[in-house]
Amino acid sequence: MNHLLPFALSLSGFTALAFAVRRQQRDVIGRPLRPTTTYVLRLAGACALLLALGILVAEKGWSIGLVLFSGHTSIAAGIVLCALIGQARMVR
Amino acid sequence: MSSLHTWAGLLLGWVLYAMFLTGTVSYFKDELSQWMRPELPRLSQIPDQAVVAQRVAVELGNIAPGTSQWSIRLPDERNNSVYAFWRTAPRNPGQRGFGEGNFDPATGQRVASRDTLGGEFFYRFHFQFHYMPVVWGRWLAGAAAMFMLVAIVSGVITHKKIFVDFFTFRWGKRQRSWLDAHNSLSVFGLPFHFMITYTGLVTLMALYMPWGEQAAFKTPAERQQLSAELSAFIQPGKPSGQKMPLASVADMVRQALERWGRDNVGRVTVVHPGDAAARVSVARGEAGRVSMSPQYMEFDGATGKLLMVRESVGPAAETRGVLYALHLGRFSDTEMRWLYFLVSFMGTAMVGTGLVMWTVKRRQKLPDPERPYFGFRLVERLNIASIAGLSIAMTAFLWANRLLPHPLESRADWEVHAFFIVWVLTLLHALVRPARSAWAEQLSAASALLFLLPLLNAFTTQRPLWQSLFEGDRVFAGIDMMCWALALLHAVLAIRTARQGAISQPALKPKRQAPIAVTSREGAG
Repeated sequence: MNHLLPFALSLSGFTALAFAVRRQQRDVIGRPLRPTTTYVLRLAGACALLLALGILVAEKGWSIGLVLFSGHTSIAAGIVLCALIGQARMVR
Repeated sequence: MSSLHTWAGLLLGWVLYAMFLTGTVSYFKDELSQWMRPELPRLSQIPDQAVVAQRVAVELGNIAPGTSQWSIRLPDERNNSVYAFWRTAPRNPGQRGFGEGNFDPATGQRVASRDTLGGEFFYRFHFQFHYMPVVWGRWLAGAAAMFMLVAIVSGVITHKKIFVDFFTFRWGKRQRSWLDAHNSLSVFGLPFHFMITYTGLVTLMALYMPWGEQAAFKTPAERQQLSAELSAFIQPGKPSGQKMPLASVADMVRQALERWGRDNVGRVTVVHPGDAAARVSVARGEAGRVSMSPQYMEFDGATGKLLMVRESVGPAAETRGVLYALHLGRFSDTEMRWLYFLVSFMGTAMVGTGLVMWTVKRRQKLPDPERPYFGFRLVERLNIASIAGLSIAMTAFLWANRLLPHPLESRADWEVHAFFIVWVLTLLHALVRPARSAWAEQLSAASALLFLLPLLNAFTTQRPLWQSLFEGDRVFAGIDMMCWALALLHAVLAIRTARQGAISQPALKPKRQAPIAVTSREGAG
C-alpha cells in the first residue's frame, strides 16, 4: 500500500484550500487574490482531496479507505497549519 | 452554548485527558507489552499458528484440568506471546473465577518473564480505571465520554467560523493563541474525535443501556443467540460427564487458516475440554477487516468434526461490530496505527489545551493574580498534575517495569502502585509549588525521565537501542526512540513555560485591566 500519493494529494489539497482563505492570502502573499483565483484554488483543493479519497477507496475498499482518508486529511491539515505558523514566524 | 462547552469540558476534563492519553498509547499496547517483557525474544517470523495452538492446548490441559472453558490468543505480527485465560472454580458463590497467563509460542510453557500487565494496564485504565470496581470505572468512563460528546457538539456550535478560521493561528497572543491551538486541534481531528467518543460509548452500550436487551430477550436460548451475534466465545452449556480426549486442535486451526489465510487466526476457545460434549471455536484474526463481529468455525471437540462456520451477523449486530472496530483500530497495519496514534494524540492535546485555556482566560480577569480564588487554584493545580503529572506517572510505570526486582511477590501490582504513587506525588508537588514553576518542573522531570528511559533499558536488559537497531527489532527500537521524541516535546514545553513565566511576570500588571472587554467578547472557550 503506497500512502505517499494520497498523502501528497491531501497535503496539496489543504495547501490550496489555505490559500483560498482571505486571511491567509493577506498574511502570506500580502494582498487578497482575485476572486477567480480564489475560486480555482478552492476547486483544486477540493478535487485533490476527493482524488485522495478515490485512490484510498479504490485500493483498500470503502471501510479501510475511509478510515485512512480521515487519518491522512487530519495529519495533512495539521502540517499545513504548522507550515503557515512557521512561515509567519520567519517573516517576523 | 459557550458555557455549556466550558463546563462540560472542564468537569470531567481531567478524567478525559487521562482517558485520551492512555487510550492513545493503547494503540501500541501490544508493542508496549513486548517491551515490558524483555526476556521474551522477539519473533522474527510468526510461528505456525496451528502448532502453537496445539502446544498451548496441551499445556493448558496440565495447568487447568477440568476447566469448563479456556481461550487463547495466538501470536501474530504484534504479539510474541500467547495470552490464555481459563475458568476456575469460583472463590465465592455467584462469582466467576478466572486464571490467566502468557505462554511462550516456542515451548508452550508459561512465559519465564517478569510479571507485568504490560500495555494492558493503560488499555484497561482507559475505560475502567483502577482501585475501584470495574463496573464503577466503566460508568465513570461512560459519563466522561458523554460529557465529551456534549463538549464536541457544543464546541462546534460555539466555534461558528470553522471554515473561515480553519487555518488561523495567531502566534504570541496568549489567550488567542491558546484558543487557536485548541480550535485547530479540535477541527482537524473532528471526524476522529466525534467517532472515537461515540464509538467509545458503543463499546459499553450494553452496560449503559441494558433495558432494550432485557425486554427483548427473555429466555436463555434467546440470550445465547444474542451473545452468538456479538462474540466468538461459545457458551459452555452442560458437560456430558463422559471423558473423551480433545481432538487435534492443530487440525482445526489448519482448516481455519486454509479458509482465512496465513496467520489469520485470532483466538481459539474450548468449552469442556476432555469431555464428550467439548466444542472448539476458532475465530478469525482482526487484521484487515473493519468489524469486530464474530467470525468463527465451530468444531466438535471430541471428534474434530466441523459443526458450522459463522461469517456474518445481522445488520444491527454488524453496525455495532463496525463501530466497535473503528474505536479499537485493531484492523490497522503499522501505517494506519500511526495515523490513529497521531490523530488521537491531537485529541489528547485538544483536551489539554482546553483545560489550560480555562485558567488562561480567567487569569487576566483575576482581581489579584497573586491570590486567585479557590476554584481557580483548584483547576490550575489539577491541570498540572493531570497533564504534566500523568506524563511523569506513565513514564514511572515503565521505569518501575525495569527497576523492580524479579521475582517479586505481586510484581505486576507494584508496577501499577508505582504509577499511582508517582501520580499522587506530582499532585502534592503541584499543590506546594507556585503554578508556573510547578508546570516547568514537572514538564522537565517528564522530559528527563523519558530521555533516560532508553539508557535505563540499555543497562537493565540485554536489548539496548544499538542492538535493537542493528537487529532490526522495530518494537524495541521504536519505543526507545519514541521516548526520545516525547522527551523532546516535553523539553520544548518546559522551556516555553519557564520562559513565558519570566516574561509575563513583569508584563502581567499593566495588561491586567485593559483587555477585559476584548476577552469577554472573544470568549469561545
